[in-house]
Amino acid sequence: MTRRFMALAALAVVCAGVELVAGRGMSPGVVWDVVNGGGDATARHIFFQLRLPRLLVSLGAGACLAVAGLVLQSALRNPLAGPEVTGVTPGAVLGAVTATALGLAGWDSPLAVVLAACTGGCAGAALLWLLAGRGRGDPAQTAVHGVLVSAVLGGLTAMVLLVEPGELGSVVQWLVGTTEGRVWQHWHLLWPWALLWGAGAWLLAGPLTLLRCGDDIALTAGLSVRPARTLALLCAVALTAGAVAAVGALGFVGLLVPHLAVAVFGADLRVSLPGAALVGAVVVCGADAAAQLSSRLPVPGLDAGRFTLPVGALTACLGAALLLVVVRRTPSRTF
Amino acid sequence: MRAPLPLPAAADGPAAGGRRPSRGARTWQPVLVAVLLVASSLCALSLGTPYVPPHRLAGAVLDGDTTLAGIVVTELRVPRLVLALVAGACLGAAGLVLQEALRNPLAVPEMLGVSSGAALGVAAPLVLTLSLPAAVQPLLAIGGAALGGGLTLLAAGLGRSPSAVLLTGAAVAAALQAALLVLMVMADQLDLHLIYRYLLGSLSARTWDDIAGLWPWLLVAVPALVLCAPVLSVMRLGDEDAEALGVRAHRARLAALAIAVVLIAPVTAVCGPVAWVGFLAPHLARWFNPTAGAVRWLPWSAAWGAAVVTVADVPARLALAPVETPAGAWTALLGVPAGVALMRSGGRGRAARSAPGVGKALHGPRTAASGVTDEVPRAAPDDARREEAGAGGTQPPPSRPTGTEDVR
Repeated sequence: MTRRFMALAALAVVCAGVELVAGRGMSPGVVWDVVNGGGDATARHIFFQLRLPRLLVSLGAGACLAVAGLVLQSALRNPLAGPEVTGVTPGAVLGAVTATALGLAGWDSPLAVVLAACTGGCAGAALLWLLAGRGRGDPAQTAVHGVLVSAVLGGLTAMVLLVEPGELGSVVQWLVGTTEGRVWQHWHLLWPWALLWGAGAWLLAGPLTLLRCGDDIALTAGLSVRPARTLALLCAVALTAGAVAAVGALGFVGLLVPHLAVAVFGADLRVSLPGAALVGAVVVCGADAAAQLSSRLPVPGLDAGRFTLPVGALTACLGAALLLVVVRRTPSRTF
Repeated sequence: MRAPLPLPAAADGPAAGGRRPSRGARTWQPVLVAVLLVASSLCALSLGTPYVPPHRLAGAVLDGDTTLAGIVVTELRVPRLVLALVAGACLGAAGLVLQEALRNPLAVPEMLGVSSGAALGVAAPLVLTLSLPAAVQPLLAIGGAALGGGLTLLAAGLGRSPSAVLLTGAAVAAALQAALLVLMVMADQLDLHLIYRYLLGSLSARTWDDIAGLWPWLLVAVPALVLCAPVLSVMRLGDEDAEALGVRAHRARLAALAIAVVLIAPVTAVCGPVAWVGFLAPHLARWFNPTAGAVRWLPWSAAWGAAVVTVADVPARLALAPVETPAGAWTALLGVPAGVALMRSGGRGRAARSAPGVGKALHGPRTAASGVTDEVPRAAPDDARREEAGAGGTQPPPSRPTGTEDVR
């Protein structure tokens, strides 16, 4: 187990290294100079004020989303639960967009954005709860209901955006999820929030492992199921809201990374929760590095520099492909 | 094969559901549709900035382009109304065809990637600044829609369970959506507004030219629709029964998908994916008349689709008066909750009547009993138990009756 952690940590370091040198602004040699204390002022600025916070934000957001997904899947005992399909992410997007449009929040008051996203995420989850009943029926059915809830929330977001079209350009980037232009402010906001709720999730790891086994077993083991589940859901919503406020709605990370983590680290959440955080960080960071590398490619029909691939698009495509494989490979299951 | 089989379908369908509407609801349906259509048409024609009272509408139309009211009504409001009616009817009919052909109450263009594909086909040349003749645009939309729908069905396999198809569709739609968002990120601010408004399904500023582009496609689609309706009502018996009755199930399903694509894509090319109309309209038609077959539902579904789009267009035009909101946002807001409520009210009655299985809304009796098509036939309760067993590595006791959860 330790070996696996070490391997993943090494992978994370590699991804981080690639991410640091992948951008278009300067060549790897210059980056090496800057790391060794040399380089001119522009290079230093690019490295310390743009690339480093971007790297940290992508790592943190990936970890948050993955942990949130694992907590959700365990608490609801639904392998298809994830922030995207339980209405949490679209709700958080709606909350943040609404708060920005109403002038209650903005880029100068980032905490308000996080809180609004949190409220919206809770509202989205509650909506699904109302729609799908107790949320413990057929997992695939709950997921389908979640897609419907997402459609409603997406419609609301669209209405808000059309009434207040001022920031459409920046919001669209954010709808797909991007780490473009994240600076230290974002990181300073993300890490305390992530640490707080991540610690909460870590404390809940034991009860969550019991919840994975089913309510009856958890009750027999002496766990009061309802408060534990409520706390876990709150934790998941808060973590998702933090990540959404930082980087936007990254597709499919919260749905598929937990499966990866469970496959690698087993179903004991005391181990696989930190593992999921690590895997999520690796995945998002790696996807971001790949997106930056791909934006260096020459694209026919477009002038250079216009083609930028948001990391969210990459994770969505990756996740869609993975989901297809999963659905096709399990014919006996109904999802 | 062409003859509409009378009612073996009804014995299997949602016919004897617990909460089926009484005979009254069935007779009310035409009245309700007519009232909605007339009222919303009057609103669409007379309300607005030059307010034209209903009794002066005829005069305004006859005046033609001599008065301001005449110009506004004939050149702006009438084409918009006609477009809303045609688009709604197409979407409603396409939704019914998809749902019946796949035997899946949630098979809507939005969830199969058809709409996203069509939107991608329209948005791509706009962003990449390729100049194309106007006639090519519907072709691109059709190509995109066929790509999305075909990809979904190919990836999911044709005879799979409904939720597998839907989840695959969600994945394909998400990937197409991501591609679309990449395009939108690259677009400049002006294009972005255009695309965004289009993507939500807006009927604003459409003229007679746009409608004229729709006719050729309708000429192809409507006869095909009439021909395929009887086959659809056979298809809902299940693939094996349908083949026993002489329908080549797979081929018929592909044909139905093609018809749906031909219906949806031109509409999407003109006014964007007006969301979830194809979901709400068939459910309304079914709820009002649960014992009929696909042949009877088809016209009603089209009528309901037209009514839904026309009704949604009124608040879209007037709610936030100087700004126009897209009609698609309204249909999404109102259509999804209403459709889910209808589906649940139909499904719960069925579930209460049938075995205490899990498949309430998604797996009604007709899907559960015949959900497995080419493989070994399974019994419905067995199928249901396996569904619960699929819930994950750690399992709930399989025998828990889901009905009690509803009561609690």
